[in-house]
This record gives sequence, structure tokens and C-alpha cells, in this order.
Amino acid sequence: MLRLLSLAVLLGTWWIAALMAGSAKLPPPPAVLATVITEAESGALFLHLGVTLARVALAFVLAMSLGSAIGYLMGRVRLANRLGDPWLILLLNLPALVVIVLAYIWAGLTEVAAIAAIAINKLPIAVVMVREGTRVLDTALDEMTTVFAIPRWRAFRHVILPQLAPYIAAAARSGLSLVWKIVLVAELLGRPNGVGFEIGVAFQLFDIPRLLAYSLTFAAVVLAIETVLVQPFEARLSRWPPRAA
Amino acid sequence: MQLEVEIARKAFTNAAGERHDVLVDFNFALGTGEIAVFVGPSGCGKSTMLKIIAGLDHDYQGRVVCPAGARIGMVFQEPRLLPWRSVDDNVRLAAPQADDEKLSALFAVLELTAHRNHFPGELSLGLARRVALARAFAIEPDFLILDEPLASLDDALAARLRDQIATLVDSRSVTTLLVTHDMDDAIRLGDRVFLLSPRPARILAELPIRTPRNARGEAEIAAIKAEIARRTNGDCAKGDVL
Repeated sequence: MLRLLSLAVLLGTWWIAALMAGSAKLPPPPAVLATVITEAESGALFLHLGVTLARVALAFVLAMSLGSAIGYLMGRVRLANRLGDPWLILLLNLPALVVIVLAYIWAGLTEVAAIAAIAINKLPIAVVMVREGTRVLDTALDEMTTVFAIPRWRAFRHVILPQLAPYIAAAARSGLSLVWKIVLVAELLGRPNGVGFEIGVAFQLFDIPRLLAYSLTFAAVVLAIETVLVQPFEARLSRWPPRAA
Repeated sequence: MQLEVEIARKAFTNAAGERHDVLVDFNFALGTGEIAVFVGPSGCGKSTMLKIIAGLDHDYQGRVVCPAGARIGMVFQEPRLLPWRSVDDNVRLAAPQADDEKLSALFAVLELTAHRNHFPGELSLGLARRVALARAFAIEPDFLILDEPLASLDDALAARLRDQIATLVDSRSVTTLLVTHDMDDAIRLGDRVFLLSPRPARILAELPIRTPRNARGEAEIAAIKAEIARRTNGDCAKGDVL
């Protein structure tokens, strides 16, 4: 109830600001809504949203699986950590824009370049978090699985993975919020479709209703996915404390 | 199954870089089905010895000989259960091949039947220990290693669990190593009692107990205790062992 009220206040503020600033600079909510409806009717809105979501999903899965594997390795094997650490620090501090631009220069303005660039931006976060999780794995439980000769894969699935779950969830969470932001930049710079591309077009045409229509629907979709998918998933994964009894 | 242990030397290096001997010339052999109890003061190196025998620590001089493929069931000082799995699943994870009937019987002996669907977080220490014990027995081990299974339980509970352990080890032929600092437990459970010195641990004396476990009365236990006191007098600080 309070959230709805807060949302209403936001809309009201927007409306008043629009009246004061003039619709050329800030169109009022109905104008933006009308644009959303026309874009939706033509199907363009769904096309661009869909394309963007697909890129997010691909880059996210790629970065999470690769990042978790590298993070686990670096957490377990000291040599891997020493070799990988400089790379990790470089990647962590490389601006997203640099990675995207370089990817487009080296691989052309292609889908592969876009998705790889997004994944590379997210990768180090997953590596760092899973590495930290791996470092604090309970050695007491490791000893238990060794003595009882529990096969490696079973032990990984039932003993290691539940301990890593909160760290993987945290990596997914922070990584996803990063991917949401970067995907639009990658699209703006080098893709012929997607929400980021539409925002770029709207920017060039000073088409503010269109800009707001796309960015607000995108934000709404992100919000929906976060509340419906990510948060319950995270809550489920973090049910158990990482320490064993 | 037979077990031969010859640990010439086991040392730890502390943070300052100094090496400390934990075990020196630690030799013994156990026959099939024998229950060996090791009694020694806290911190003398008992757990270290168990870790070496369990194959968790390879950094020592000497050798541990046991038949290839021997199954080891172990109860650690802490229960070491998975908090995200129920009691039943914790046991089945270690013993996937255990059949339902045998498991039910095992849970019944340990009075865990009512707790099979509980999670470790819902159990008291005494119950969690029994689950760890159930896990060790469920794999039908050739060797059973018990590291202070009765520590920090109140007397009544410890006595119950001790009887349950006795019932279980008597019902199957499993070579057992039990570590304790409680002389009473040692005499009530062991076939052979090894008395250990303070660190670095050596075997001070070995004491066979020939009376069957269920025939050991209070008088007999007192007599064995007196015998141990006589044999260890002067060789090791009284307060430490007895």
C-alpha cells in the first residue's frame, strides 16, 4: 500500500515537473504512455525488449558459469590464484566502456562481440565472490567426505555447492544489476536493435517520449524479473548458513 | 580387518617456525574386531593420530597399513553433519547403498527414529552425536574411528550413548579405535586400553581387558582402574590421566 502511494507521489511529481518544464523537455506521463502503446501495438517494443533480454540472459549465464568455475579453481588451487589474480585485478578495474569498444573493434559489430563484452564485464565479480566462498569452505566437512569416501561429484553437489550457494546468489544478484546497465551501452554503441539501440535513436532525434517509453518499460521489466525470479531464488539459496553444525 | 600403525614421528610447525613433535615412536597393531581405546591428557596428540589413521593427514614419518578398500566410519569430535540435509539424508549421503531395513534398525538402536526428518540445527549435541554415530555404522565399516564420542555430554546421556556404542560394536565385527580422556569410558568399552603420555604422545602402557563388555561390573572396573593407577604411577602425572 505504502509502495503504491510512493509510486503515485513519483508520478505526481513527474507530472507537475512536466507542466513546469514544458512537454518538449519532459513529456507528461500520458504522452509517454501513448508512445508505449503505439510501440507495443507495432510490436517494436516487444522485439527490442526481447532482444535485450536474450542478450542479458546469454551474457549472464556465460559469465556466471565461467566465473564460478574460475573462482572455485582460484579458491582451491593456490597456484591458480597467484596466476589469475593480476588478470582479475585488471578486469575488475577496466571500465565497461573500454571492454565494449575494444570488443567491437576486434570482433566487429557483431552479436558475439556484444555478448562477450557484457560477459567479460560481469565475469570478475563472479570470480571474486565465488573465490571468497571457496576460501571459507568448511574443511571439517571436506574431511568428513574424504573419510567416508563419498565420490567427488556427490560431495561437490551435496556438500560443496550448498556452502557456495549464498556466494553464487550474491554474485548473480550484483552481476545481474551490472549486466542490466552494461547491455544498454553495448547496444547503443554497436547493435541495430534492442532497448539500448532505441534509446540511442531517441537521443539523436531528441525524441524524449520515446526515450522514456523504452527506458521505463525496460526498468519495469527489470523490476519484475528481480522480484519474481531473482529474489525468491536468492532467498532459497541462502536458506542455510554457510557454516556447518 | 587388521590394522598396523607405525608412526615414527609426526611434527607440526608453529607460526614462529619452530617444529614441535606431536607423536613419537607410536606403534601398535590391531586384530579384526578388536576395540582399542586410547586414553591420554587433552592435547596430547590423540586426534592427530586418528587423522593419520583415517588417511586425512599424510605428512608424517612412518606407515599405516590396512587392507586396500577398507571402509572407514568415523565420528569426529564435532558431529560434522550437513545442516542443509535431514538426519536421514545425512546418513544416506555417506551410505547410499544401505538398505531401509538395516537403517531403520540402526536408527532404532540409537533412538533416532523420531528424528529422521529433522535437520541438524534442530538437534541437541547428544542427538547430533548419535546421528554421526548412525552415519558411521550405516556404511558397515571395516574400521570404526571414534574421537571423543562422549565428550561434553552430561553423565546420564554419556552413559546411554556408551551403552549404545557397546551394543553396536558387539553386534558386528568391526575393528574400532576410540579416543577418550575418560578412564571409565575406556574400561567399559575397550578390549585393549592404551595409555598415552602428554605431548609428544607415546604409548606408556597397554592393558588388555579380558572380561566381556557386558559382564564388567562396578567392582571389576574399580579393580582395573586401580591396576592402571599402579602401572602409571610415576610415569605420568596422575591428574592428567586419571
